[in-house]
Amino acid sequence: MNKVLDTPQTFNGDTLKTRIDRVFSRAIALPLLLALLLLAVLLGDTLYRSVSVQVVRPDEGPAKTYAFGLSTRDILYQELLARDYTEDEVKLSLEDPTERRVLMLQNRVELMWNTHEGPFRYVVRGLRDDRVADFSLLQGLRRWDELKANLKPGEQLILNPWIDQSFLTRPPSRSPLVAGIGTALWGTVWVLGLSLLLAIPVGVGTAILLEEYLREGRISRILEVNLRNLAGVPSIVYGLLGLTLFVRALNLGPTILPAAMTLALLAIPVVVVTTREALRAVPDSMRQAAYALGATRRQVVFRIVVPSALPGMVTGVILSAARLIGEAAPLLLVGAAAYVPFLPSGPLSEYTVIPVQIYLWISQNQPEFARVAAAGIIVLLMVLSVLYMLALYFRNRFRREW
Amino acid sequence: METLKQKPSRGAKEVLTFVVLLLLSSVTLLTTAGVILSLAGDVVRFFERVPLSEYLFAKEWTPLFAEPRYGILPLITGTFVVTFIALLVAVPLGLALSVYISEYLPPHRRARVMGVMELFEGIPTVVFGYFALLFITPLLQNIIPGLNIFNPLSAGLVMGFAIMPYVSNVASDAMQSVPQSMREAAYALGARPYEVSLRVVFPAAISGIIAAVILATSRAVGETMIVAIAAGQRPALTLDPRETIATMTSYIVQAATGDQPTGSTAYYALYAVGFTLFVLTLILNLVAQYVVERYRERYE
Repeated sequence: MNKVLDTPQTFNGDTLKTRIDRVFSRAIALPLLLALLLLAVLLGDTLYRSVSVQVVRPDEGPAKTYAFGLSTRDILYQELLARDYTEDEVKLSLEDPTERRVLMLQNRVELMWNTHEGPFRYVVRGLRDDRVADFSLLQGLRRWDELKANLKPGEQLILNPWIDQSFLTRPPSRSPLVAGIGTALWGTVWVLGLSLLLAIPVGVGTAILLEEYLREGRISRILEVNLRNLAGVPSIVYGLLGLTLFVRALNLGPTILPAAMTLALLAIPVVVVTTREALRAVPDSMRQAAYALGATRRQVVFRIVVPSALPGMVTGVILSAARLIGEAAPLLLVGAAAYVPFLPSGPLSEYTVIPVQIYLWISQNQPEFARVAAAGIIVLLMVLSVLYMLALYFRNRFRREW
Repeated sequence: METLKQKPSRGAKEVLTFVVLLLLSSVTLLTTAGVILSLAGDVVRFFERVPLSEYLFAKEWTPLFAEPRYGILPLITGTFVVTFIALLVAVPLGLALSVYISEYLPPHRRARVMGVMELFEGIPTVVFGYFALLFITPLLQNIIPGLNIFNPLSAGLVMGFAIMPYVSNVASDAMQSVPQSMREAAYALGARPYEVSLRVVFPAAISGIIAAVILATSRAVGETMIVAIAAGQRPALTLDPRETIATMTSYIVQAATGDQPTGSTAYYALYAVGFTLFVLTLILNLVAQYVVERYRERYE
């Protein structure tokens, strides 16, 4: 009895197939493991690169600090006066925009949380590159004692995490030690916010039209085919469109507004798709009930369907925002600049965004910029994960079972 | 009784809403027109200066040289090499993953795996480019001697992973729409799970799978940042994956970030390349849609 039960040989043809089956079912999960592995290596590598051991020669310490809340202009004014310039000279040079710009680039104003004159004061520093040597984490720790023994007077051996508080607020710089992502962060907020503001009405409107108003017909077919093709157009082609139409033809220059318009066009197909899914999830019975109560189509759509679909639509918009935030190619074309020392002040000011800033750091020659780029990537991924968590929250918090 | 007779869509507000929606959605049509118009004008100006035969057949792309040559071929081969390597990675892995997702995963765990892939797809391509240049390339340089710092090999490999979720999404959608009764029929005939996946579900979903591959090709052709960072920006007519090359997209980035005087032939060349890229991806997308419509198996 036992023997018969135990011997699969009775199904002779099947042993091989069983084995194939087992191998197949495991092999097929391999890509998922590979993807997770790649993700882990990518994150680990980036984190590893964002910390390094450095020999630096720090500033002697700021002689003069400035109260928190002063504008950069006022600080520069006082600083220049302290450097024996006459009042007229200072006023003149601060009124001339190019001159002012040069001054602001040469004199970096940084917020320090602890100074000899009290907490949270501004200090002014030059653009001096005070790096002496840079070692990767493992190498640096291994040679720590040796390096420490060989320090020249005035030098310090430090473990430098390239992300710190001031990295998030500092403007970019030619020197990797003081380069920050502050302006890029604000540029991203501006561009993203403005482009969503433009894309949401168009995307949601098109979705409502396609889903709730149009019957299967020529108009809906044209719109749909067109949207599908737009979704397939490479983002860099949108960049060319933005460059010709918004930057040059409308003469908006390389500023936030044309960038936001370009990204909005890129976002519209994605917003349409996600909104349509959300609308489709609302069961027909609700529409029919509303019609039965005598509601007009507009009332059905905007008082019943859209409110019910809102959580799904919000999730979709957040996910499209997550897509947009990483776009660098089109923005390179519509004028995200390498070197924007000021926070953007309106839709027509110059800007840069995080992914573009990262790209420009990567293309720098100095190897330390790779570390700055790693720090930038971590910031970008953190912003992204916040967006994903928001999307997940909306998806779960307001999920309805129909 | 008067109000009851009134049809719901007659009111002025109703019409107004419809018109507003129609206007909003016309923006999408205008976008397409905008893409074509914005490219076309400068493309025409480009071909007034450079003959089409030179554009198509010359073997050098050197718009900034003293004696500029405008042959698109080096950019095409560059794009081809990167795309080919990316597809070598993305298609087998993506299709295997799609079989796993649609045939082997229980539905309640499907959402989680799809979520992970969604996250993976959401990683900005700049990040992938950074990874390719600073991690994969040094790794490969240990194995392959003569590998340039900027090479299409590592760019293509990483890009393959970047577009893998896209392949698996489209393909697993197609596989999940194969009716359950077909699987059950195959099992009833004594088929093994792998036979059901490969011999029943796979052929039944073949139109969607082909579309997935074509759409992935279009993605790879249009992918910009990974290539611009890791594959280099020097146009070369070669199929050797170890050499620095330039693709159409990376040339556009290079030209747009450099200072190109408006109105020069080199400036219009930017649009010629952009237009070529647009037409190429448009054709790929249309073919994918055609395949889906034409060869879809209809199950009643």
